Amino acid sequence: MTTERPPEWPTRLLARALGRTGAAASVLGDLEEDFVLRLRRDGRAAAHRWYWKEALTLCVEAGFGRLVGRPIVRDETTEEAGMREAWSSSGFVSDFGYALKALRRDPGFFVVSTLIVGLGIGASTAVFSVMSPLMIQPLPFEEPERLVLVENGDGTGGLSGVTSRTSNVRDFRTDVRAFEALGGFNAFFDQSSYNLSGAGEPERLQGVEVTSNLLDILGIEMAAGRNFTEAEGVQDAENTMILTHGFWVRRFGADPEVVGRSLALNDEPFTVVGVLPPDFDFVSVFTPTASADFLLPWPISDYTDSWGNTTTMVARLAPGVSIEAAQDELDSVVAALEQADPERWGLGGRISGLQERIARPFRSGMLLLAAAAGLVMLIVCVNLSNMLLARGPRRRREIAVRRTLGATRGRLIRQLLLESVVMSMAGALVGLALATWATRFVAGSTGLEIPMLSAITIDGRALGFTVCVALLAGLAVGVVPALQVSEGGESEALGGSTRGGGGTRGARKLRELLVISEVAMACVLLVFGGLVVRSFQAVMDVDLGFEAEHAIGWQLASSRVFDTLPEINAFFDEIVANVEAVPGVEAVGLVDALPLGTNRTWGTRVVDKVYPENGPGDFFFPHVIDDRYLQAMRVPLVEGRYFTAFDDEGAPPVVVVNQEAARMLFDGDALGRRIRMWFGEPEVVGVVGDVKHRALELGSDPEVYFPMRQLWAFQTVEMVVRTQLPPESVVAAVGAAVRQSEAQMPTEDWRTLDSVVETSVSPRRFTLQILVAFALSALLLASLGIYGVLSYSVSERIPEIGIRMALGESAAGVRRSIVAQTLVLAGIGVFVGALVAAVGTRLVSSLLFGVEPTDPATFLGTVAVLLAVSLVSGLIPAIRASRVDSAGALRSVA
Amino acid sequence: MAKIGEFELLVLLAILRQRDEPYANRVREDLEENAERAVTRGALYRTLDRLASKGLVEWELEPSETPERGGHPMRRLYVTEEGREAARASRDVLLRFFDGLGPVETA
Repeated sequence: MTTERPPEWPTRLLARALGRTGAAASVLGDLEEDFVLRLRRDGRAAAHRWYWKEALTLCVEAGFGRLVGRPIVRDETTEEAGMREAWSSSGFVSDFGYALKALRRDPGFFVVSTLIVGLGIGASTAVFSVMSPLMIQPLPFEEPERLVLVENGDGTGGLSGVTSRTSNVRDFRTDVRAFEALGGFNAFFDQSSYNLSGAGEPERLQGVEVTSNLLDILGIEMAAGRNFTEAEGVQDAENTMILTHGFWVRRFGADPEVVGRSLALNDEPFTVVGVLPPDFDFVSVFTPTASADFLLPWPISDYTDSWGNTTTMVARLAPGVSIEAAQDELDSVVAALEQADPERWGLGGRISGLQERIARPFRSGMLLLAAAAGLVMLIVCVNLSNMLLARGPRRRREIAVRRTLGATRGRLIRQLLLESVVMSMAGALVGLALATWATRFVAGSTGLEIPMLSAITIDGRALGFTVCVALLAGLAVGVVPALQVSEGGESEALGGSTRGGGGTRGARKLRELLVISEVAMACVLLVFGGLVVRSFQAVMDVDLGFEAEHAIGWQLASSRVFDTLPEINAFFDEIVANVEAVPGVEAVGLVDALPLGTNRTWGTRVVDKVYPENGPGDFFFPHVIDDRYLQAMRVPLVEGRYFTAFDDEGAPPVVVVNQEAARMLFDGDALGRRIRMWFGEPEVVGVVGDVKHRALELGSDPEVYFPMRQLWAFQTVEMVVRTQLPPESVVAAVGAAVRQSEAQMPTEDWRTLDSVVETSVSPRRFTLQILVAFALSALLLASLGIYGVLSYSVSERIPEIGIRMALGESAAGVRRSIVAQTLVLAGIGVFVGALVAAVGTRLVSSLLFGVEPTDPATFLGTVAVLLAVSLVSGLIPAIRASRVDSAGALRSVA
Repeated sequence: MAKIGEFELLVLLAILRQRDEPYANRVREDLEENAERAVTRGALYRTLDRLASKGLVEWELEPSETPERGGHPMRRLYVTEEGREAARASRDVLLRFFDGLGPVETA
């Protein structure tokens, strides 16, 4: 019977790691012997497991041992050793080993420098990874460079200003040759939701209405089933749906049998025709922070056209057609359509590349982060150069010995460079770990309104980037010290005294220059960070126009079908009454969409107002609310009255406007005036304060509130509940109160208004946090740099200081002179940095809010912080200098 | 004379204790069973290497007879005269220092 041999792969690996020596072979034998023993005693599986573990551990130890020149088995015949020497002394291997040995001799230096490089590389890699899916990699679609967005306006009118009527989709499809295909989706999809009942727990779900050709335009391959057919995409077709991959997995356990089944949405049957692939996350590309569980067809019909501007148009350009050419053709088509029907409104189209358009709002922020990461990396490099220069004198003797033994200058430079590259590569490992942690954190955050976040990972590109940065950094960091150290002076260095060794005037000046540049760069980063922090404060200090604290928003989605407005109002009145009865609830109100969520615009003409002939009318942001909403939100009444329960269908139509609308539409005199709407001419009965509806940073828009009892122009209803109690303590009771009216209604979908505000400032906060982290690292590095240079210059000048003290200079005097030296270095750096920042901040002014790029407070604060930190870092060497034992110092010179 | 650490001393003694079969595996087993300490392979091999470079241990390769080793050779380990001297010296130092302690402290 033959005995079973150990697994082949670990054996081979180990043989490699150990080398081809007799002792190495004996180690393999030892291992195999124990393996056979275990095979008999513990069984095959256990023995194999054991062998793998043992062999791989040994592999790592042996491999590492060889690298650092401490092999775990050494049994070379003279011949073998000679061959190895001959082979490696010409090449990198011995230099590499030598570099490792040199670093190992000074582990403190190695650890600190690795951490510093790691910090810089981590920052750069993380920023690269965050930018990558949005700005570097092509979108995950077929031929993404041919995909474009067609927008109706420049975005001043909120979502309604960039979306289009479906009649535009219909006509552009047929008339514009430059589009191979044109489709889109209902941008207001999150204003309605669906209750899934039947299969398991009832659940409130979000569906996105897309044109039947949208998935084909993007080039999406379904995970299961098929895309919508053209027949399914028309008005009043049979109900069909496509599930998103996430929902399919979550709700149905990825059961392929779901395709073809019928699900009950709002008590109507919908047939599942397909499932989206896992790598297509619709909302993360088009509407970050929204959620979607399935797609429904969006018919291009007169009915959907009557809803006005609704559709975000996505098109695929015909092959070879440029965006400019397509725009020209679209312009002429729009002109022709206008001519054919002068009454037609909402015509227009601006074409942008899909990727460029999605990335556009984030471009300057990302570029700022990239620039900041680059600066941090530069500071890291300067810092390391400095540390290496400081080591120079200590290494001089060693280098001198090697030179007298025949090493050429080139060889020495190569070796010193290898040292810094090895260091930066080790730093890259630390940096990768940091970046992996950072990107996981970012990709996992749900509240961030930034597209493609879920696609952020450390991938091959990021790895390649890291390696390149590390290599470059290693070379850049090492080159100055390498040239410095390897240049001449053997006899002096071998002469024995370390006094002033390498601390030549030139080297010291160079190090001071490096520190100055470090301080200057830190200054730039601190100014950037400071400005962004001040902007954030300014944004957070903005008067929202409503009270976000102590308020909770609920989306109420009934699956009931209502026939009349009184019926629907009676239903919601009952819910509100139930909720108002919950202990701790102070006020309850209803609205179609909460501030900082979706928005739309309507056009109107004010009665008795003179408009230029054929000129446009006014536009405003409409909100349909109940008579308790404004009070519940604490929106102040300026004049007139709020709505009451008597403003119903039987009463004359009324509206409440905000101050901005009173000024823009009515020239400040709004009360009692009327606006023309399709349903009549409501009268303005009240003026209320402005509310930030679109974004905290944007100015006020004209807003008109319509009473819910008079106008059925809402799809969703959001309920605001104000309470002084912590929100978590009332949600359960409020949910129960809501379910009293409709047991099937999902009630888990609540959020505090604070969190709504938080989400809307999330991209800003994101930039802020990263930038501040960078600025603080820069500050730390700069102070380390100052400390390093000064403490070195102190130790170098000990004999001089000793003499000065022996000659009667006081300790305080010595301290003063060192501190003065610190302040001169830091002062020059701060001055240069402030100048650069003053120019540079103009480039980021688009990211600022409520603060000038030359904000004196930020600049002065930065200067103060930098000088203070420099002072502290200079103080330790200064104190050390003042304790110099003058007698000892004098002896060392003697 | 070469200075040796505690583990090096243990390895030297373990080699000496093997008499007929002074091989690495036996040394390791002896250390694990009788010195009651977990000995990783890497640590043992590195220590052997270090002892050899100090001239305290030598080895010669001998072809293995048993099929369990898959034809790989074995290292027969010897403690050199210097190695014995180093072990003796360590023992003397230890004894001298233990001598100064009373029975309570040694317990």
